Amino acid sequence: MTQQYLVGELSLILSELQVVGTNQAAVRDVVRLRREAETTPPAALGPVVVRAVKLIDRLWWDDLTRGETAAFIREAAICDELWEFGVCAGLLEEGQTSDEMGRR
Amino acid sequence: MAAEQETQVSEAQIAVHWREEEYYYPPATFIAQANGADPALFERFSEQHFPECFKEYADLLAWDAYWHTTLDTSNPPFWKWFVGGRLNAAYNCVDRHLVTRRNKVALIWVPEPEHEETKAITYQELHRRVNEFAALLRDFAGVKTGDRVTFHLPMVPELPVSMLACARLGVIHSEVFGGFSGTACGERIADSGSHILVTMDGYYRNGQLIDHKAKADEAVAKARSLGFEVAKVLVWRRHPGQYASQSPMVSGRDFFVDELLGDYRGRVVEPVSMPAEAPLFLMYTSGTTARPKGCQHSTGGYLAYVTGTSKYYQDIHPEDTYWCFADIGWITGHSYIVYGPLSLGTTSVIYEGVPTYPDPGRPWRIAERLGVNIFHTAPTTIRMLRKLGPNEPAKYTYQFKHMTTVGEPIEPDVWRWYYDVVGKGKAVIVDTWWQTENGGFLGSTLPALQPMKPGSCGPGVLGIYPVIYDEKGEVVEAGSGRAGNICIRNPWPGIFQTVWGQPERFVQIYYQKYCRDKDSKDWRDWPYFAGDGALQAADGYFRILGRVDDVINVAGHRLGTKELESASITVEEIAEAAAVPVMDELRGRAVEIYVSVKPGFTSSRGIEQKVAKAIETQIGKIARPKNVWIVPDMPKTRSGKIMRRVIAGISNFTDVGDTTTLANPEVVDDIRRHVQAEKVARGEVPRELSPQEIEEIKAFGRAE
Repeated sequence: MTQQYLVGELSLILSELQVVGTNQAAVRDVVRLRREAETTPPAALGPVVVRAVKLIDRLWWDDLTRGETAAFIREAAICDELWEFGVCAGLLEEGQTSDEMGRR
Repeated sequence: MAAEQETQVSEAQIAVHWREEEYYYPPATFIAQANGADPALFERFSEQHFPECFKEYADLLAWDAYWHTTLDTSNPPFWKWFVGGRLNAAYNCVDRHLVTRRNKVALIWVPEPEHEETKAITYQELHRRVNEFAALLRDFAGVKTGDRVTFHLPMVPELPVSMLACARLGVIHSEVFGGFSGTACGERIADSGSHILVTMDGYYRNGQLIDHKAKADEAVAKARSLGFEVAKVLVWRRHPGQYASQSPMVSGRDFFVDELLGDYRGRVVEPVSMPAEAPLFLMYTSGTTARPKGCQHSTGGYLAYVTGTSKYYQDIHPEDTYWCFADIGWITGHSYIVYGPLSLGTTSVIYEGVPTYPDPGRPWRIAERLGVNIFHTAPTTIRMLRKLGPNEPAKYTYQFKHMTTVGEPIEPDVWRWYYDVVGKGKAVIVDTWWQTENGGFLGSTLPALQPMKPGSCGPGVLGIYPVIYDEKGEVVEAGSGRAGNICIRNPWPGIFQTVWGQPERFVQIYYQKYCRDKDSKDWRDWPYFAGDGALQAADGYFRILGRVDDVINVAGHRLGTKELESASITVEEIAEAAAVPVMDELRGRAVEIYVSVKPGFTSSRGIEQKVAKAIETQIGKIARPKNVWIVPDMPKTRSGKIMRRVIAGISNFTDVGDTTTLANPEVVDDIRRHVQAEKVARGEVPRELSPQEIEEIKAFGRAE
């Protein structure tokens, strides 16, 4: 087995985000990022995960600002899942702050 | 010379960040029942008995006709195994078990919702389902031997049923991981030339019923955009009779399988006797924007290899309950959920959902309830289960005899949790190394005969003779403390046959680097380049360090080009990036980054600085590029792949090679004028390169 499944898991998590997205621009960003995840070698997935976390961060604050609480809650759950995946796959470091993310 | 010495020191440093660990020995209870407990196995599979040693694996199968040539090397590196032999993979995985274990359970499917009933499918029932779907594929969908059929299926029993139905007909299946987008699926459909797509309306993940059929529509549209038309979409329903998708069925194209199957009830399809070297399936690898890479696996060689390794390395007996906690959408699932275990007539567990749903105790409840005694998963899953439920395994009374870890190097402390807590100190662990291209395990301990060592996969498996080469093709000796490129010196039955439709790419990526004589028919001249870095300890055990594709070695630090490029495009203004090496007197190699900016942005020194800063922040100071060049466009092939060797040639003032196949050859001169003029002005013209350095630049970027 190779690490192909890491690519797949990231794509899968982003697909959940794609479904939750409440505005077209956000969904387009997710689709673009998912495409990148699917075409990035597993060894270079780290920065893609970082961008995904930052994208969710942006989306949920947007949703919260607009009072889209259902989307906000779902995005928070997806972010949690993405975070756990990133840490367990060695793509993120435990305990990083949002600003520090990306340093591996 | 100074740079070379520095490189060696650094490789050693990379390699030794995990210290050598102590051995763990298998318990006597395991050895007493193990399939592979005879030390004579090592002698039987030693190089002096190659290739005939693999007859022992092939003899585990039922053949319609015996082979006359074990290994045909007449057209290297397109090896042919068991030439003249004929067999059917579905017959071997299903029919032949009906005589002695008709009512034994072949597959246990565990749905994600815990209240939903677990389904057990006996070999008899599997035979019925495979035959009925094979009849449907042949008579309704019109597929015939040699055709390709693409699946985009989640973890449901319909996936192995569909695979085996194709195998029964001699049809080449190509499963795309169910979580992938419709776009990725469509690209693979077009590449493989599949007129039939088999999918499902929905599946459960994290407690949600996911709309999956919508992706089929995207896939068909994507394939159409690539000039390929899908004739029929066959849709299994997660709950037969109820449609779980919002996506409308397209009249004349989309069909519910459960509605059609009524017409094929009780139909039996004679298994097609296939030549051993006939393709069984394609498995696409991801990780490239270039044309997808479909690894073509054979029928006889592949099936023999996964059956043999399942028997000896997974220690599967027919009476075991075996659970490989991977997805069938990857090679692990093909080899070690479906083909290997079913060929041995065991019970294989399939789980639909995520490991931690609804809580991290779920895997252990499943294992306890089903009496699983062999467990197989990946380090990422192990880390997740450890993180979220470190004490959960102790709450359940399951008892594993054997556990596998696969897919990534596993840290010794994670390994020890797996051994102590999940295995309760009683199960052996095999830490396996292999790849999509390989069919089955390449590196592992033979669990009853070789001790385990946390963090090391072990030596080459039976009949596999690995070697580590440095960049010059010199052998890196075991115990030297130096890392290099792990290669396999010999062909083996499970090795993929080619990259579907791209034989030149197959040779270029996997054999060109260390081929000693391209005219030679001797397999010894054609080592297989695995693309992973590794270190071999004095005891012969390998420690895998990760991919070596397109690495730029800066003062001994191996920097992945993809990682550098991914960091670059975190800068908002950047559309595309390409990293290349440039010769550097001080550091051996330095990094140069070429970027293009998104529409609406203009080049500026500020953007260059942002790119350099992003790389420094995300990867480290050592990776800071020597130069960032903003270019109007990258030189690309017609399929959109950036030609890194061309820009590497520009950066190093060497020949850029053939540019006639580029989609935009005109940009090359523009880039060259701009970059080289600037370098001359800065006094950065490199010295004359040695022939080896010129070769390195020419070869750069070819690994993708």
